[in-house]
Amino acid sequence: MKISRLSAWFTIGIVAVFYIVPMLAMARFAFQRVPVIKLSWGNVFQKWTLQPLVDSFGATEFQRAASLSVTLAIATALVTIVLLLPTMAFAHLSSPRTRRFIEISAVLPFVVPAIALVVGFAGTFRDTLPILIRSSFGLVPLYVITALPFTHRTLENGLAALDIRTLVNASRSLGASWWRTIAFVIAPNMRASIATASFLAFTVVLGEFTIASLLLKNTLPLYLSYSQGSNPQGTFGLGIVLVVISTVFVAMSNRFGKKVRS
Amino acid sequence: MTRNIEFRDVAKSFGAVNALVDFAIRVDEGELVTLLGPSGCGKSTALRVAAGFEICDSGDVLIGGTSVVALPASKRGTGMVFQNYSLFPHLTVHENLEFGMKVRKMSRSQRTARVGELLDLVRLAGLAERYPHQISGGQQQRVALARALAIEPQVLLLDEPLSALDATVRVEVREEIRRIQRTSGIATVFVTHDQEEALAISDRICVMCDGRVEQIATPHVVYRSPATPFVARFVGKVNDLAVEMTAPSRVRLRGHALEFAVPPSEVQSGEARLLIRPEDICVAGSAGGDGLQGRVDGVQFGGATTSLDVAIAGTNHVVRVSDSTRAMQFGIGDAVSLRFDTERVLLTRE
Repeated sequence: MKISRLSAWFTIGIVAVFYIVPMLAMARFAFQRVPVIKLSWGNVFQKWTLQPLVDSFGATEFQRAASLSVTLAIATALVTIVLLLPTMAFAHLSSPRTRRFIEISAVLPFVVPAIALVVGFAGTFRDTLPILIRSSFGLVPLYVITALPFTHRTLENGLAALDIRTLVNASRSLGASWWRTIAFVIAPNMRASIATASFLAFTVVLGEFTIASLLLKNTLPLYLSYSQGSNPQGTFGLGIVLVVISTVFVAMSNRFGKKVRS
Repeated sequence: MTRNIEFRDVAKSFGAVNALVDFAIRVDEGELVTLLGPSGCGKSTALRVAAGFEICDSGDVLIGGTSVVALPASKRGTGMVFQNYSLFPHLTVHENLEFGMKVRKMSRSQRTARVGELLDLVRLAGLAERYPHQISGGQQQRVALARALAIEPQVLLLDEPLSALDATVRVEVREEIRRIQRTSGIATVFVTHDQEEALAISDRICVMCDGRVEQIATPHVVYRSPATPFVARFVGKVNDLAVEMTAPSRVRLRGHALEFAVPPSEVQSGEARLLIRPEDICVAGSAGGDGLQGRVDGVQFGGATTSLDVAIAGTNHVVRVSDSTRAMQFGIGDAVSLRFDTERVLLTRE
């Protein structure tokens, strides 16, 4: 018991070192007004400043990219919940075969590379629905698919914890429509799962680079990539902020996930 | 418009399994009819067809004289209580009761007044602000019943609402359901596989087997005059004895010399089964009478009644005899004499 506990702490320590050391290095590079070549243990606490970050926040390009990414993240989370929740609820009420089919489909994004997804998407819609390619919101369906393995699993856990058949039948027998049942009976009982799925979708969008790059949309990850040349310190500062935000979201997802399981 | 429900030759199958075959019953306003049968006999399917959760293959379901088979569950005007606890966990008792009324766009004042009435009806007035997980299983089912009644349905459908409760609470809630049903006067279909529950609560019992109706009658008739051997065996306890017909309306236990008369039946000759309830056998203390001679093999003291297992001499028949009087005080190994109330027996082919 004692040994396993020790080994657990050891593992956590190793992981923390792998996570924290690069972060500290990034932080020193981003927020210390000391030339990189002169960074040493002797000046660890000298000339710290948030100015590069402030400069980055003030850049119009950054504001546009950040605003686009946050909007896309919110839209992705919304579309995911609106599409996925009723579909999965229906699958729970119908045959186990439908459920299995959805489950298999949901893990496909793990094995289908982003490039294949974009090529198929662009090829299909370039002539039939060009607005999907032109508009930045065309990224939303692709992000929904990319986040599917995470969001599906979270919602699946939430639905499995409910006696959905009885709740739906009770609601229907009281005169509620299918949509009212989803909105006022199923969704409120899955708040924790919905919040977790939304956080995960949000995090996936904030970190997604390939799809946006291939479709030439200037999202936050792309801005970070392109601005490294002109403002490397600010870019690294933003990178740290992004990692912190993502970590907070993942931690919140975990917290809600625990609530679902309990 | 009368508030009743009628099943007309309803058929429903799931693949090769016929869940309902020409199922036809009618439940009138104020009446409580129980669908009773073993697991898989189709009783819950009948209820789900009535509620609109299953679509029947053929036949018709009429509520208040109007066919409802084409209507979705939300438009049928049925109130349903489920076997599993079905209260919405995120809503308080008060909000659960309001749910159906909100769907019907009733005003807040109407809703509040109705919720008060319903809570009084189910005697849970102090629990309005509690959440389902803060009340007991029995209370949850009473709230579920009140919620079903809140929408003033034409028909009440109860799908084994007591099966999740423990024995004592079950009897309490059963009596409560009956009282509330009588007060509201609503046509009610009650599904159970518990014969004691069915006998206690019903105006009529519909005994089902393999999707078919075996008998529909009052509890007394179903118990005392079962229409088929299945009903006799399923409802209440019964001694099932192998007999030979020595002449029309005369039988003798297989392996025993004593003959006795039985009421006329379609079984005229050959081997048959004789079904007789334990309380229709009289047991006398002293051996040597003109009845069947036997020896007490076991004694089960059940509080209000005592049951004996009696091995009939010279055969391998063991019959159960029960009596509610205090006179029956036999011990294992005692010699006894048995006399069948032959007017009560039922004969069937093997």
